[in-house]
Amino acid sequence: MAMSYDRAITVFSPDGHLFQVEYAQEAVKKGSTAVGVRGKKIVVLGVEKKSIAKLQDDRTVRKICALDDNVFLAFAGLTADARVVVNRARVECQSHRLTVEDPVTVEYITRFISSIKQRYTQSNGRRPFGISSLIVGFDFDGTPHLYQTEPSGTYHAWKANAIGRSAKTVREFLEKHYKEEDMESDTEVIKLAIRALLEVVQSGGKNIELAIMKQDESMKVCLNLWYLYSKKIAAV
Amino acid sequence: MATFFGEVLSVYSRAVEEDDDELDDENEEDEQIRREIEEKREVYIEWYPDVTQSVSSGNCTLQCSDLIIAVGPNASGFLSAYVLNTESWDAVGHVSLWNEKSRCTSRQPPLPGEPACRFYRHRDNPSVLMCQSTCYVAEDQLFQWADKVFGSLLNRGLNVMVLSDSPVAEYKTPDNLYGSAVPFLRSLKSSAFKDQALCPALEQPNILTGLPAAVLSHCQVHRIPAVLYQCYTDVIGPDTVTMETYKPALTSLSKLVKLEPCPSADALRRFAKVSEAQSNLYT
Repeated sequence: MAMSYDRAITVFSPDGHLFQVEYAQEAVKKGSTAVGVRGKKIVVLGVEKKSIAKLQDDRTVRKICALDDNVFLAFAGLTADARVVVNRARVECQSHRLTVEDPVTVEYITRFISSIKQRYTQSNGRRPFGISSLIVGFDFDGTPHLYQTEPSGTYHAWKANAIGRSAKTVREFLEKHYKEEDMESDTEVIKLAIRALLEVVQSGGKNIELAIMKQDESMKVCLNLWYLYSKKIAAV
Repeated sequence: MATFFGEVLSVYSRAVEEDDDELDDENEEDEQIRREIEEKREVYIEWYPDVTQSVSSGNCTLQCSDLIIAVGPNASGFLSAYVLNTESWDAVGHVSLWNEKSRCTSRQPPLPGEPACRFYRHRDNPSVLMCQSTCYVAEDQLFQWADKVFGSLLNRGLNVMVLSDSPVAEYKTPDNLYGSAVPFLRSLKSSAFKDQALCPALEQPNILTGLPAAVLSHCQVHRIPAVLYQCYTDVIGPDTVTMETYKPALTSLSKLVKLEPCPSADALRRFAKVSEAQSNLYT
């Protein structure tokens, strides 16, 4: 039974579980869905916008954050934890630019974020960060990347992935419909991300926020992109 | 008895009973306090006037062929949305009790929305009784609750169905539950229940506690056919997805009373807690 081994994070259970880390992954599932797709010349992040209170300024409720001009991140899980991690990552990106005079590579900043997260799974008196994140961007040589980090501090590169509430359903959709040759076309990449999100987003397309980055261009956040592409998707 | 520090203690011998006049007085006071606490914690079933009138003998016993009990906010919400939404149910009584967590002591009918234990009877089929329990019944009151409720019913030919909520964190299984279908139903039945339950049986070492356990134990002892459906859910409050998990019970319920085909999403949402638009904890 998990009960006696899940209080302290630094304690393994007899069968090798770190229950606090596993519970942190449950916290991730409480956040709304985010999907990321990597094309040949474009990377796309799509998120389900959560419903906000009427009087709340929706510009302050952001699931997609820019870490630097060439890297951005979408998270799922505890909002406050994400804010802390994103702030540290942004400082690191600038520090890297000042020291090395080059922007970070996507893998570097992913590794940095993952190291922070891992440190918090091995310290006394702290709890893990309750967020998973999808980090996308281009390196200075033009290679696109998509990485996913987890509360345990692991990170992996993906061609397409989803995190958050119905991540399993979305991932199954992506596995079924991802085609390597389609990734050459920017439109197909965007369509795949939107269609994957539409599998699980409630009340249609008005609750989707999309962020697109093309090679050599800065990130564009498209709030109502659905209206531009809806006709094409309906035709498919 | 001599000790290490030189003083001498007088020790009492357990072989000889001492005169305890003083203790007698204390016992009386203790007894009085105990009696007062018992009275305060007594469970009362208040049947409404139109019900007591329809029963002839002084001892109020209702003719009942089917008793459906819902324990917990999701089970009660399910009954409210799927069964009690037609106009053919009359409120016939409630339970008043006091404990540290529930203060439904009023002899007056409880206000809607307040945690309480309410009884409803179907107008067209008066032997079908429904009970919605959203208040906390303490361990020492459980036996009284079951005893008094079943004491008010004629037990001949009685069938009981219990719906109850439980957090999935209490579900013990060697398998990894992460990602599997939560919420889900498990069943338990008394030996007198001969039909098939509508979902898999509750596996060991899981147990039931609280009011559902008291009801099922009572039914087992008195050989009343009873089946219980326990819904394990990961949501704290009433929630539409959890309420819909009880739908298999509708097949048995529809044999007893006429049910509305399917409540609209709005109707369901009324019984669910306001969704967490206000909560900024998770994004």
